Formats: sequence, C-alpha cells, structure tokens
Amino acid sequence: MSFISELTKGIIKENPIFVIVLGMCPTLATSTSVSNALGMGMAATFVLVCSNIFISLIKNVTPDKIRIPVYVVVIAAFVSIVDMSMAAYLPALHKSLGLFIPLIVVNCIILGRAEAFANKNNVINSIADGIGMGLGFTLALTVVATIREVLGNGTWLNIKVMPSTYDPMLITLLAPGAFITLGFLMALMNMIKEKK
Amino acid sequence: MKDKYIVSSAPHVHDKTNVSMVMWNVVLALTPALAFAVYFWGIRSLTLTLLGAVSAVVTEALIQKMRKVPVTVNDGSAFLTGMLLSYNINPGAPWWMPIMGSVFAIAVGKQVFGGLGNNPVNPALLGRAFLLASWPSLMTSGWLKPKTGNLSGLNDLDAIASNLQSLSPKAYDLVTGATPLKVVQTLRDSSFVASINADAGEGIDLANRIFTNITEMASLKNLFWGNVGGCIGEVSAFALLLGAAYLLYKNIIEWRIPLFYIGTVFVLTFLFGPIQGSGYSMMLPFFHIFSGGLMLGAFFMATDYTTSPLTKNGRIIYAIGCGVLTVVIRLVGGYPEGVSYSILFMNVMTPLIDKFSAPKAFGRMK
Amino acid sequence: MKMFLKLGLTLLAFCMVATALLAYVNSLTKPKIEAIKIKEAQEAREMLIPDAEFEEVHGAIDYYIARDKTTKALKGYTFTAEKAGYSGAVKTMAAVDSSLTIINIKVVQQTETPGLGTNSTKPEFAAQFSGKNASQLIVDKDGGVAPNCIKALTGATITTRAVTNALKEYIDILSQEINGKGEAK
Repeated sequence: MSFISELTKGIIKENPIFVIVLGMCPTLATSTSVSNALGMGMAATFVLVCSNIFISLIKNVTPDKIRIPVYVVVIAAFVSIVDMSMAAYLPALHKSLGLFIPLIVVNCIILGRAEAFANKNNVINSIADGIGMGLGFTLALTVVATIREVLGNGTWLNIKVMPSTYDPMLITLLAPGAFITLGFLMALMNMIKEKK
Repeated sequence: MKDKYIVSSAPHVHDKTNVSMVMWNVVLALTPALAFAVYFWGIRSLTLTLLGAVSAVVTEALIQKMRKVPVTVNDGSAFLTGMLLSYNINPGAPWWMPIMGSVFAIAVGKQVFGGLGNNPVNPALLGRAFLLASWPSLMTSGWLKPKTGNLSGLNDLDAIASNLQSLSPKAYDLVTGATPLKVVQTLRDSSFVASINADAGEGIDLANRIFTNITEMASLKNLFWGNVGGCIGEVSAFALLLGAAYLLYKNIIEWRIPLFYIGTVFVLTFLFGPIQGSGYSMMLPFFHIFSGGLMLGAFFMATDYTTSPLTKNGRIIYAIGCGVLTVVIRLVGGYPEGVSYSILFMNVMTPLIDKFSAPKAFGRMK
Repeated sequence: MKMFLKLGLTLLAFCMVATALLAYVNSLTKPKIEAIKIKEAQEAREMLIPDAEFEEVHGAIDYYIARDKTTKALKGYTFTAEKAGYSGAVKTMAAVDSSLTIINIKVVQQTETPGLGTNSTKPEFAAQFSGKNASQLIVDKDGGVAPNCIKALTGATITTRAVTNALKEYIDILSQEINGKGEAK
C-alpha cells in the first residue's frame, strides 16, 4: 500500500461513517449544523493524526495483551493535553472547537484506527491513514449536516438558502431526523456501489 | 371435544376475501366521516384528503418501480394509508402537509421495510408523528370553525358570560379558539385557572362554568355529530361508528380491540378524569370517548392487521395498553390528545405481546 | 504470575508517564485559562452595563455591583442565573438597574435542542426581557398576559421557563439581599 492509497481510501471506499459505521455518536450529535460538522471534523482529524503517530511509535514496546488500555490512556492523555493547551494559548479557536474536544475522546474512530491500522503500520502510513480517515469523517459529517441544516433551519453555514416562505422541517434537527438522514445516505452509497 | 378439532385434508374452502377487497371496504367505511367533514368545514377537507391519498399511491408506485417489484397500488392499501394520514390533519393545514405526510408514511413507514405486511408500525400514524415533529405549530393551530357551531364545542357560550367580549383575552381565546380536548387540558393548569378566575371578577368560578358546560348533554351532542373543531377524519363520532358498524358486519375488523380500547378509556377517565375543585360530572367519560381521535384510532387504526397482535388475548392486552397510554397522555401529558402516540407505542410492542400470548402447543409442557 | 506482574507494571508505567505529562501541562495552562475566563466574564459584564466598574459580592447569590467609572453612581447589578432546562442547566447572565428592572440578558451556557431551545441565545429572544421587572417575568403559557409576559419560544416552552423563572428567582433573592443590607450604597 502506498502513501497515496492509504490517504484516499478513507474518503469514499472505506469512509468511516458510511462504510465502516464508526463514530456514530458524534455524527448524530454534531451534524445539526454545517459549522458544527466542520469544527468536529477538523478537531477529530487533528487528534486522529496525532494519536496514530503516537500509537505507531509505541507499537513495539506495547505488550499485545494490554494494548487496548494503553491506547485508551494515550488517547485520553493526548486529548486532554490538546484541550488544555488550546484553551490557554488559542482561546479563540478553543471557543469554536472546544465543545467537541471532550467528545473526541469517546469517538471510536480514534480507537478504531489505532487498533486496526496504526499498531500494524509504520508512522508515515499511519499519518496518511489518519488524514484520510479524518477527511472522510469530515466530508460525511458535512454531507449529513448540509441536509439537516438546509431542511431543518433553511440555512447553510448560517447563510439563508431557502426562500423565506419555507417552513423548516424541524424533525431533521432532532435525533430521529439524524437517523433517517444517515439511513438514506447509507442506502444511497450502497446503491451506487451495487451499480458499479 | 371431538367436533372442536376438525382436521380436514385439502382442498379447503376458499373465501373471496383478499387484501384488495378489505382495503377498499375500509375506504368505503371511512367515507361518511369525510362527508361530515365536508359539510362542517367545506370542500377543503375533501381536497386535502384526496391530495394525501393520491400522493400516497404515486409514492408507492414510484418506489415499487425503483425496487423492481410488481406495482400493487390497485390493492388500495396505499390509498387507505394516504386517506387515514389526511384524516389526522387539521382542515386548515396548508396543501403540502398531507403530501409530505403521505410521502413519508409510504416511503419510510412502509416501503423501507419491504412493503405491505412488513411495516412495524402503522404508516399513517408514523406520517402524522413525522408531521407533528416537523411542523409542530402548523399541526396544532389553524383549526377551522365548524359551519354551525364553534371550535370548542361549548353549546352555550352565553351561559359562560353574558357578553363574551367582556372576558379576559385568555379566557376568550380558550372558549372560542381551542379544540374540546385542548380546553380540558388547559383547565388542568392550576395557574391558568387561577388567572382567568381572577380576571373574571370576584366570586365567579369561570373555569368551573366552562368545565360544566363542556360536559353537558348539548355539548356532547356537538361532539357526537362533529359540530366541533378537530382533524378532518375525527370530526364526527357518529359517522365513524356508522363505518365501524359496516366493517364489523362484514367481519373485516374484530370487536375486541375497539371495545377494550374505548372501554379502558371510559373506565380510566371515569376514575381519574375529574378536575380538582371543578365538581364532578358523570358525563366526563362520554366526553373523553367522543372527543379527539379515539373513535378513528380505535376502529380504523389500532385494528390494522399487520401491526396488531394475532392472538385474541394479545389483542386484549394491546387494546388495554392503547387505552391506558391514551388516558395518561390526555390527563397528565403535554399534548391534549394521545391516541396516535399510544397506538404507535403499542404497535412496537406487538411482537412482544404475540410472543407472550401465544397459545401453548397441545401436549407440550412449559 | 510473573507475566501478569510484568503487564501490570508496563501499564502502570504508561499511566504514570501520561499522568506526569498531564500534571505538567495543567500547571502550565491553568493560570492562563483562569485569567481568560475572568477576562471573558468581565467583558460580558461590560457589554451588559457599559462604562462601569464592578465590585463582586458573595451573598445568597454571587453578584456584581456596577458603578459608573467616573461618577461612582450606582448603575445596577449583574449576576448569572441558572436553572435546569430541557437537557441540562441553562445559564443566563443578566444586568438589572438600581430598581431591579432588567437592562439586558444573555444566555451564556445551554445544551438545549438545536433549532428549538437554542433559539434562546438569539438577540430577538433576549430583547423581550429588556425593561421587564420581576413581576413581569412570567411565560405567556403560564398565564402571563401580553405585554407583561415573556413569549415562549416555539417548541421550547421548557427552555423559556428555565430562563424566565431563573431570572425571577435571582432578582427576588437579589432584592432581599440589597434591602437586607440596608442601602449599602
């Protein structure tokens, strides 16, 4: 596997949300608006790349039997450090992304990629995997959020896109709307795949 | 004993009953209610109902084409779903409301699961739940005043106040602008009652007057004939009973679900219905069974074959469950009416009820 | 047995390194984060009552007395009211003038339903609180009569109630505090 193929696989072919179905909780929770989705996506990508680097570096010193608790410790410590440093040195950025950082700890994409990829591959490929998966996550989240924000609020990235006579379909902003949107998008992905 | 276990070999006698005949008969049984709705609220009710029914049929046909399965819209099940969905919409709703509801009901409520017979919950009610979650304000306002009466079904507004204009705006809105169930629900709010009584002046228990009035015989008559505000299909208890009698006679629906459902509501509202400090009216249970969507729900929606239990005992459990939930939502919940949510909830419970009420196989120990 | 000991010790080593790192980063960042928080709260207060200096008071509730920067005349009070909303606490920062009439409010922290309860952070919602006193803080659905009431947000009556009732409670406590102290002006 080359660097490029590791990078691109996460975007469509092994999309973490639509294909691997990882990280559903943040997807449902933060896809209510496009700005939230982009924030969550970027924060998760950043943490994912860094945690992949760490896990890949320590893969030879980690005993196989306790690798999962070790990953949890590494990821949780890393996320906390990012959270604290951001709050202290980049308060503006922390204000917009800070909300998502505690959520990233429970994002199973991070642990999932650590277990499925980073502990078997070298650092360079792990970085590629982290970036690709992160972008795929951001893309999928943005697509879900676009549908939900446009239908449920009549706006896209807080810009009014629907005519003023449009009555927002509030259900898309609620939890059932998230499940329904996600379901239809997955069905669409499967339909496209079967046609190929 | 002997004649109870007749085991015969094929060929068995075939009845002419089939899906299509059942569905179109239910549609026929629902038409009196539509006629009453058109009489009280005008041709608008008919237009909305047709929009809902036709868009349900079109959606079903399109999705069946897409799924590459035979198009079965002639069986009438989609038409019936669309019709029932429209019956759950208020007659003042915008024209696109029944269309959105029908598309959702058929696409998400039915075809996603594989079509007729595979849907876990009643598609029409799912469509209504979708509309209520999406456009809560449009779905709970814009009621139309019936041609010959008023929205709240109160028979004698003069008995409440000699001059209606002298009422405080809140009390005026209540007696002229709310549906009967909304009136009763609002009167449960003690701070609201205190406020309208204070506005009405010294010594006048306005809330009690309204409550007594709404359970009087003349007001109940309004409810029975449909001379009140409400959704298109729930207008007239009389028209719905007429249709239900036809279906019972034709053996299309079974008596257990409606009887136990309505019976449970009757008994529970008799026991827990009275409003504190407002005296007691023996007529209150009648108010509860004739108001809202209970008749429509009990006879036409809770009895749906796919989503109600198969066993006789199961049906009784199911119907009582519907009744309890309806009363709980009406008396303590945040919505004035609870028929649709209670049926949806019991629909989901159906497989469980079937599992526990299945008769024991003969000769087998537990 | 030996293997378990080895695994346990390895995990312990990882945890100790992680803890040490966290403790170090925390000691570096904590004062900065606190300073930023205090500055933000100060800025928010200044936005509600401009050109004033604030004195913190700890009583039955914590509040700030705002005085004019030059004349030192009493301009009002600010406080953060809190009450449970539909999903978690809703915190509202409010400024009242010396007669305890609301000057302005701002919902500073909430986790309500997006699209419904989150509308409480919009300026249009905050605007209807300006100029209201404690007796006018009642939600229309609870029997308030326009214009002496707060109009509930569509589909978010509980959020509206949380904000309105929290403000009412805090203003009531504040009025007792101030009067109890016997004109501490």
